[in-house]
Amino acid sequence: MPNTYFWRKLHSFLGLFPIGVFLFEHMFVNSLALKGEAAFNRGVAFLQGVPYLWLVELVLIFLPLLFHAFYGIYIVYLTKNNVLSYTYFRNWLFYLQRITALVTLAFVAWHVFVLRLGFSGEISYAAVSQTLSNPVVTALYVIGLFASFSHFANGTWSFFVSWGITIGERAQKTTAYICAILFVFLTVVGLKALNAFV
Amino acid sequence: MSNDKSSSIIKPTSKDVTFIIKRSNGPGFSSYWEEFQIPYYPNMNVVGALMEIQKNPVNGKGEQTTPVTWECNCLEEVCGACTMIINGKARQACSALVDKLTQPIRLAPLTKFPLVKDLVVDRRVMFDNLRKVKAWIKIDGTYDMGPGPKIPPQVQEYTYELSKCMTCGTCAESCPNVNEKSKFIGPAAIAQVDLVNSHPTGALMKEERLEALMGEGGIAECGNAQNCAKACPKGIPLTRSIARVNRQTSVYGIRSWLNR
Amino acid sequence: MAEKIIIVGGGLAGLMAAIKIAESGAKVDLFSMVPCKRSHSVCAQGGINAAVNTKGEGDSTWEHFDDTIYGGDFLANQTPVRSMIEAAPKIIDLMDRMGVTFNRTPEGFIDVRRLGGAKYSRTVFAGATTGQQLIYALDDQVRRYEDEGLVSRYEEWEFISIVQDDEERCRGIVVQDLKSLEVKVFPADAVILATGGLGMIFGRSTNSTINTGFAQSSVYQQGAIYANGEFIQIHPSAIPGRDKLRLMSESIRGDGGRVWVYKDGKPWYFLEEWYPAYGNMVPRDIATRAIFKVCVDMKLGVDKENKVYLDISHLDPQDIKRKLSGVVDIYEKFVGVDPRKVPMQTFPAVHYSMGGLWVDYNQMTNISGLFAAGECEYQYHGANRLGGNSLVAAMYAGMVAGPKALEYAKGLPRSSAELSSTLFETARRKEEEKTEEIFNRQGKENPYQLHQELGEWMLENVTVVRYNDRLWATDEKILELQERFHKIGVGNSPKCGNQIVPFTRRLWGMLSLSRVITLGALHRNESRGAHYKPEYPERDDENWLKTTKAEYTPDGPRFSYEPVEMSFIKPRQRRYDVAKEVTMQNVK
Repeated sequence: MPNTYFWRKLHSFLGLFPIGVFLFEHMFVNSLALKGEAAFNRGVAFLQGVPYLWLVELVLIFLPLLFHAFYGIYIVYLTKNNVLSYTYFRNWLFYLQRITALVTLAFVAWHVFVLRLGFSGEISYAAVSQTLSNPVVTALYVIGLFASFSHFANGTWSFFVSWGITIGERAQKTTAYICAILFVFLTVVGLKALNAFV
Repeated sequence: MSNDKSSSIIKPTSKDVTFIIKRSNGPGFSSYWEEFQIPYYPNMNVVGALMEIQKNPVNGKGEQTTPVTWECNCLEEVCGACTMIINGKARQACSALVDKLTQPIRLAPLTKFPLVKDLVVDRRVMFDNLRKVKAWIKIDGTYDMGPGPKIPPQVQEYTYELSKCMTCGTCAESCPNVNEKSKFIGPAAIAQVDLVNSHPTGALMKEERLEALMGEGGIAECGNAQNCAKACPKGIPLTRSIARVNRQTSVYGIRSWLNR
Repeated sequence: MAEKIIIVGGGLAGLMAAIKIAESGAKVDLFSMVPCKRSHSVCAQGGINAAVNTKGEGDSTWEHFDDTIYGGDFLANQTPVRSMIEAAPKIIDLMDRMGVTFNRTPEGFIDVRRLGGAKYSRTVFAGATTGQQLIYALDDQVRRYEDEGLVSRYEEWEFISIVQDDEERCRGIVVQDLKSLEVKVFPADAVILATGGLGMIFGRSTNSTINTGFAQSSVYQQGAIYANGEFIQIHPSAIPGRDKLRLMSESIRGDGGRVWVYKDGKPWYFLEEWYPAYGNMVPRDIATRAIFKVCVDMKLGVDKENKVYLDISHLDPQDIKRKLSGVVDIYEKFVGVDPRKVPMQTFPAVHYSMGGLWVDYNQMTNISGLFAAGECEYQYHGANRLGGNSLVAAMYAGMVAGPKALEYAKGLPRSSAELSSTLFETARRKEEEKTEEIFNRQGKENPYQLHQELGEWMLENVTVVRYNDRLWATDEKILELQERFHKIGVGNSPKCGNQIVPFTRRLWGMLSLSRVITLGALHRNESRGAHYKPEYPERDDENWLKTTKAEYTPDGPRFSYEPVEMSFIKPRQRRYDVAKEVTMQNVK
């Protein structure tokens, strides 16, 4: 029977593989909208045409997401934050990691429900555009993207420490900069893609 | 000798220092805050102030009260006994100089350990944790068997830092993942594993220690808030230690699975 | 029936004894007032002496032995000192194997530094926190035996008294849980006291607050002989504080620190001038008296106070970091000045008791079954202790006491488990009633105030320079304090976590022991080692080359004297202005 250590490591690993990889893929497809409605629809159609799509989605997306989310809630629950006493930068990021976890979870659940599970019909540029025509929805999407990207970027930094890849202060600082760049990059890409639908 | 009258005679100045101390008669009793006015003297530290209260247990309202219970021993920040929360942060009361603190000075017991009374808590769990992770070097015996292995000075310079841990509990107190809900062992014991694992003889038992740290409440429950290294009064590189042991467990975990 | 040994005290001596006993498979109950890792041994800074001769200086155990006897002004019995010195290099090897992070040479060997009273580098060290590293290593080993079920720890339990059977053998101890104030009795076949020093008798010292000498005092009052009480080491360099005098290690001088004051507007390195052969590396009693002379007699102290400069500002910052960071940090934290840039201001402070419980060469006191090891006994330092010898003495004494106690227990005709339980219950009840009695005291005197007064008197009159009239007056004062002790009030704190009741008990112990120290000093009309009387400035081997033995009577200590064992080295004049070899030429 795997123990806490295994589940914790799995949780950290899944955040990057496949969830992180999927995030990139998702942003790539979204960005197709920058090339126009047709390009986006072609991309979506290509994905819909993948054989065994349901299995791919289940194993590479839904199950990892569900585990990462529910085990994550447990991790958030185990924490007793103390940013007001210990106001160090890293402690704030630790706190934000948990806040963004909850925001991201809510956002992703809603997003998946609206555009995937509860959605009847074909995903298309028009459909997405239609959904985003409500400015409140757009605002929520912006918040959701911010939360997801920062959670992912900071989680990546944390992954490197937790797996014992970055050990020294310098190494940890350097990866922190890289992860910050990653966050900025994803945010720019994400927002630009979002803008393409609005 | 020392007719150092300057320091042995109380010279109260107009400046009184206000202390607000969280008190409780122990588990099951309610806690309350009590205020004390202590005559200031130069270079006064928090322990000195508590000693004054001991000699003259009168609170800010001028009422006789019970002396505040607290722990101290070495008074030079090497024993770890007098750790408490001073103005919101855990630290040693002996090295907390009044001149460097904002007043009124608030004292409270550590929150991550069971309360005994007033400012005293029971930190036994920290010593139990050292036992759990087998933080010792298993020698064959105390008989004369010649010197130990040679150690490069660079290794000594690193391990010496780790060996200064006085089990004071400041790291655990600062850690958001150490609390009554979680079983996390806390940073101190992990650094001690790093210390003994870094010794050639200690390394012979490395895997037993790693396994202990890969169990319930082990190293994986570190969330990288990294308060510990910042809060540690001895400047022990706790986060480096945790990352080093993270690597050891990762390698050990993968390797032992592949060899299964 | 398996033997059960009790060890009181979780410092270096106690832990070492515990390891030795557990290693041979016997069971140990280990009692300590504080968690062992917080014992006063952690405060030892400079290092531990052993003649390892790794610097090609020609050091040998004989040189170390001679320095120790000579530095102790010939008052120590020579056979046990010699055995200790010969064991020292092996103790280093052992601690090395246990993983102590000793400083290393570039090649990876253990590095050594120099301390006072020696011409050789023979002090092995771990930065400037050597005691801390040593005790942690021993604590780790004890934890291992705890894990194996051989050692039971009782931390935050305080020793109150021993249990004696009809033959006055020691059969166990009465202890108190410092959290609940519950009094309990534990039978044992032998008891080892390793309860450390007594600096608190002097109010403020370099000692920790637990170092009240209470355990020694308690067994002294039960019939154990106390030896050489008058020999109290005053360390030349500490930083003043209202709560504590913080030690500034001798290794600061060992690694190149210089002591000076201003004279005619220029720095005057008086130790270097007065003692050209040893310079800043004279032993502690010599350095302290020199500082006293400069500050009190010549009035050249810094700011006209008893302070001198201790200067490391000329040393290489990298070296300071590697070897001295522990102490330099303490100075910086508590004084707020960076010693790397500005010379430190230090002054002498009570540091160590050479005297202690009288023991035989097996570390056993005159009470059968009661052993003592470490600072609480008198055996290894004579009239003055050399820097770096305390750690080796504590561990060596533990290494002797452990096996000898076990041997004694094995030879007992009847083990303690076979004795009637009434013996133990009576002893327990007696102490419980005493505690109860203190708990109910509602007089006007405050024990902490009385302690402060005791400390002020002892500090003023029974330290560096001693005058007979002032020693008399001090004894009178102690008697007055003993009177007032009976009018103490302990307030109305509940029992749980009460600190004033145990403190009051310790105060009585301190008062009793302070008489032994004061009267011992009064009687000894000579100057030797740390004991200095301007009225009798010379050492008087004819009359006083003997060990002071104090025995408790209700009317005060009764003194007797026994000759010092000198099997190896003849006494010779002790001076540090010239090399040791010069003093040897005059030995008749």
